[in-house]
Amino acid sequence: MSIYKIILASFLICLVIQLSHGATKERLFSDLEKGALEVTAKPSRQGVLDAGIDKLSITWKLSSTAKKQANFTTIKVKLCYAPVSQVDRPWRKTENELFKDKTCPHKIITRAYNKSSQSFKYTLERDIPTGTYFVRAYAVDAKDHEVAFGQSTNEAKTTNVFSVQAISGRHKSLDIASICFSVFSVLALLVFFVNEKRKAKLEQSK
Amino acid sequence: MASNEDGSIGSSLHGVTAREQVFSFSVEDGPSSQAIRSDDPTAKFAIPVDSEHRAKVFKPLSFAKPHMRAFHLGWISFFTCFISTFAAAPLVPVIRDNLDLTKTDIGNAGVASVSGAIFSRLAMGAVCDLLGARYGTAFSLMLSAPAVFSMSFVSDAVSYLAVRFMIGFCLATFVSCQYWTSVMFTGKIIGLVNGCAGGWGDMGGGVTQLLMPMVYHVIKLTGATPFTAWRFAFFIPGFLQIIMGILVLTLGQDLPDGNLSTLQKSGQVSKDKFSKVFWFAVKNYRTWILFVLYGFSMGVELTINNVISGYFYDRFHLTLHTAGIIAASFGMANFFARPFGGYASDVAARLFGMRGRLWTLWILQTVGALFCIWLGRASSLPIAILAMMLFSIGTQAACGALFGVAPFVSRRSLGLISGLTGAGGNFGSGVTQLLFFSSSRFSTAEGLSLMGVMAVVCTFPVAFIHFPQWGSMFLRPSQHEERSKEEHYYGGEWTKEEKSLGLHEGSIKFAENSRSERGRKAMLADIPSPETGTPAHV
Repeated sequence: MSIYKIILASFLICLVIQLSHGATKERLFSDLEKGALEVTAKPSRQGVLDAGIDKLSITWKLSSTAKKQANFTTIKVKLCYAPVSQVDRPWRKTENELFKDKTCPHKIITRAYNKSSQSFKYTLERDIPTGTYFVRAYAVDAKDHEVAFGQSTNEAKTTNVFSVQAISGRHKSLDIASICFSVFSVLALLVFFVNEKRKAKLEQSK
Repeated sequence: MASNEDGSIGSSLHGVTAREQVFSFSVEDGPSSQAIRSDDPTAKFAIPVDSEHRAKVFKPLSFAKPHMRAFHLGWISFFTCFISTFAAAPLVPVIRDNLDLTKTDIGNAGVASVSGAIFSRLAMGAVCDLLGARYGTAFSLMLSAPAVFSMSFVSDAVSYLAVRFMIGFCLATFVSCQYWTSVMFTGKIIGLVNGCAGGWGDMGGGVTQLLMPMVYHVIKLTGATPFTAWRFAFFIPGFLQIIMGILVLTLGQDLPDGNLSTLQKSGQVSKDKFSKVFWFAVKNYRTWILFVLYGFSMGVELTINNVISGYFYDRFHLTLHTAGIIAASFGMANFFARPFGGYASDVAARLFGMRGRLWTLWILQTVGALFCIWLGRASSLPIAILAMMLFSIGTQAACGALFGVAPFVSRRSLGLISGLTGAGGNFGSGVTQLLFFSSSRFSTAEGLSLMGVMAVVCTFPVAFIHFPQWGSMFLRPSQHEERSKEEHYYGGEWTKEEKSLGLHEGSIKFAENSRSERGRKAMLADIPSPETGTPAHV
């Protein structure tokens, strides 16, 4: 009987946790002030950029249409996926609930808010995947909640997007080690096999 | 080996069984048993053996040569192969970024990872017959190690899929492991031994979810970029395979008396004709019901090994490490869940006979599937974990319980049926991954619930398994004079000419021993048949 009570108690606790979970995380992307910051992102060269090598020149400044700038404490600049890189990839999905939204996973730089124009030269990290991107800057208040944002592309995320080619992650030394161990594995097996067959033949002929 | 019954070792795929009638830790024999004790001066074994030098006792903490050593080498080899096959799963969040994979690519690779074993498991029985269990295991380990290492060359979705397909071939060690324990352990305890070997091997699918993120993390600490670190991490399962292969070849022994190639095969072991064995396996409808059932117990387990880590990582925003720990708990439950399922099946058989075994199987598998539905619908982490653990226990116990039924479906085609059932597990996994986890049509959460629903539906066919001598879930045993005898069922697999040659004697012995499947009531009513001859082995 006591086991059932324990199970029932844990069910109820889990239920309470679940309900409370739903109550707090409700900050939505659609509530943020759009276009509060003017953001530009200029690739260092034309064509597909190489991760780990090429750079982006990023600038951001307060837009003339901004209203909530009194709350801005920090600016978080992030690298975001364009819609074409989100197709058939639910782990990059855009969601309205901010805590669920996976559009902008790559952090570029975080700086304190400054009214004047800011810039940063960003070298694409070596773990950036292949894809098409734009840059978004979130304005965050003292409670670390997003209040506004600006991005380097239009609302449909189609203009001013740039492509990045990831590093392959392959290395010559890795390739060589891989071949060596593979050959060793097959050879060792063959050696054992042939050896035992030979020993068996010797025993039989005795 | 010459002294054993016909249709035993020597038929292709023979010995690939998981269970015989089991009385749990039945240890020493009673006065009714006629197993010759080890007064045999040539038999200097560390544990008591029967007349064929098979161990009568299961001592999991011992490494005594050759029986317990074979057990440990067998299950650890199988465990290592599970690690390699599912090594990619916890690293998918990194791999998908490196190779620019879509959900479809990942799903297809998951299907490929379990599909290779469908064929390799069927072939492994023949390999074990011809070359012995040691080489069967070593071939599997050391010939698929190159595939594991070749993850360093993978650069796109196609090569990723091809490598995962080739690594998947090594799951044939399931067959060689069970074959090896079947020749080393006597029939009375083979059920528990195989349940432990199977369960502990399956744990590899859980351990890999912990091991690979940890290895990846350590390699990153030495300064490697993520896209190189994951490739290097695959060297660890590769090394493990090579090491285990060498250990198996140097420390292991094919048979209690020695290795296959050096033993003089005195006397003729009558090899059964593969075509006959195959025909009787395929003709028996129960084989196919078990094929489907295992596809939705082991199949579901294999699918979860591939998707669960990524599911927790994506849905609950956990780190790779934490998602791995949770995913690992699923596979680790195998340590006790699968042997428990076998044990529950035995207890049910003692009370209610074969009908008890069938009901146990149905209940465990259905309950597991219901918890799978709940897992997909859970939106908070604690509930998801709870649902997952209950789901894992139900499904894995169902795997153990299924192999409490399988050995009784046929005596002649015993090995092939176990091999087919095993292949069914992989087939079921391929189907569920293809249907629910390879496209963006369903979210992973929806896929989990739908898979649970499909598993519930596909478990119903167990009600159709009917043995004339023992009944089925809803029908009583046949009252017909002839058909209600076990001998009639097992004898029916041999033709008149074969019977006149006495080839069916092994089946008759097995039939007599299987009278325990009538359950307690029938046993008390019956005059119990004495145990004749050596214990029926597999």
